Amino acid sequence: MSVTTNVAEKLLTLPESSAVALQIRAEHYFDVIRGILDNFAVKKELDSIYITSTIPSQSIVNALQVLEIDMSNIYFVDCISQIMMSMASKHEHTIYVESPTMLENLMLKVEYLTKRTEGKNDIIILDSINSLAIHNNTKILSEFLHLLVNNLRAKKAYTVIFSMEEYRSEDISNMLNIVVDETIVAAGE
Amino acid sequence: MAPKVDLSTSTRERCVTGIQGLDNALDGGIPRGNTILVTGSCGTGKTTLSLEFLVHGALDGETCLFISVTEASSKLLTNIIPYDFFEESLIKKGKLIFVDMPVVYERLGLNKLEFSLEEVDVLVRAVADIVKEMDVKRLVIDSITSVCYRLRTQEKIRDFILKIGATLSSLGCTSVLVSEISPAEERYSLFGVEEAIADGIIFMGNLERRGDLLRTLQVVKMRGTQHSRTKYVLDLTSAGVLLVPLLKGGSVAGG
Repeated sequence: MSVTTNVAEKLLTLPESSAVALQIRAEHYFDVIRGILDNFAVKKELDSIYITSTIPSQSIVNALQVLEIDMSNIYFVDCISQIMMSMASKHEHTIYVESPTMLENLMLKVEYLTKRTEGKNDIIILDSINSLAIHNNTKILSEFLHLLVNNLRAKKAYTVIFSMEEYRSEDISNMLNIVVDETIVAAGE
Repeated sequence: MAPKVDLSTSTRERCVTGIQGLDNALDGGIPRGNTILVTGSCGTGKTTLSLEFLVHGALDGETCLFISVTEASSKLLTNIIPYDFFEESLIKKGKLIFVDMPVVYERLGLNKLEFSLEEVDVLVRAVADIVKEMDVKRLVIDSITSVCYRLRTQEKIRDFILKIGATLSSLGCTSVLVSEISPAEERYSLFGVEEAIADGIIFMGNLERRGDLLRTLQVVKMRGTQHSRTKYVLDLTSAGVLLVPLLKGGSVAGG
């Protein structure tokens, strides 16, 4: 079974309001994204809110276009493009946050998008805990995760937090263990 | 069997602001009839918050009045964020009314730089007459600071706010007085009188944290209800004012 199918199938076994940590190797990055956005979210008829602090949303949009993934129900909260000065073109489904240190603003943009998509359930993808950890200390990041995940649970949304295997640390594992129901390792069989 | 314990803190009727985060912080909304001060420096979202309070009231069928002191209301209307929930018919139906204070001054013959105590009474009566005549349930004066500039003395400011607060409350009108302060101000109003008299204070500010500037809101005081005193970060969006708690994380300097 491919990584894409495997991730989608594992997510399909979860009840709504679940929060999971998805452990990913860099080589599987786009397979995992496809598994979530194209397979899982489409099957469950979810709107997807993709928080990116790793690479600019435009890079993900470009990849999704190449993969011919329908983007009509995918929205981005991009907190890396402005700080990288790489906002050449603005995608209509993208909201920008000035910096990955503005964690409250990330929550506010997610809140805004969940309000806009009211009526449909959502999946929120946080890409990634590792890149947010570069810009924020553990205490504030833990607090952010705790508030974000519990707020999303109350809205019956799925939360998927990317954790890059190559950058795993004890701090990050502890942080995730407190808020997630399960850790899924993205791998093929 | 143990007796049931009622944990509700107040039975006072609420004026639901419609701003979810704020209503949560206020345990359901502003106690009806309160006169509250929304205070902060420029660009913190005072006018936007006040307008949304009125729009939600109008959508609920209440007559709402915005008295603009500093800016022509026509200009204000073009500048406000186009809310997803805003309906132009609210203005046509007379549920959302805009009045320019300079026009009121002119009609009352108050074209002076400083008002006397008698003129303060005339002004309060004029506002009360509008509220009574139109059965206004929500009122915003933006800004009270500009009115206070014409009153000059603390005695007259106190007199004006006490009278307008009491009159509006007796008419069942919940009012928001917008107050402007400079960023460095260590009090909640320019003249120091308004904050002592108002039933409630909502303080809006800018918080700098490691080079990021966050818009914040804090309910400092609200008579007639238990309320949160924590600091929130806010966003002004087309879905209205959104609030989330300020993250502490041990990294807030001067927050």
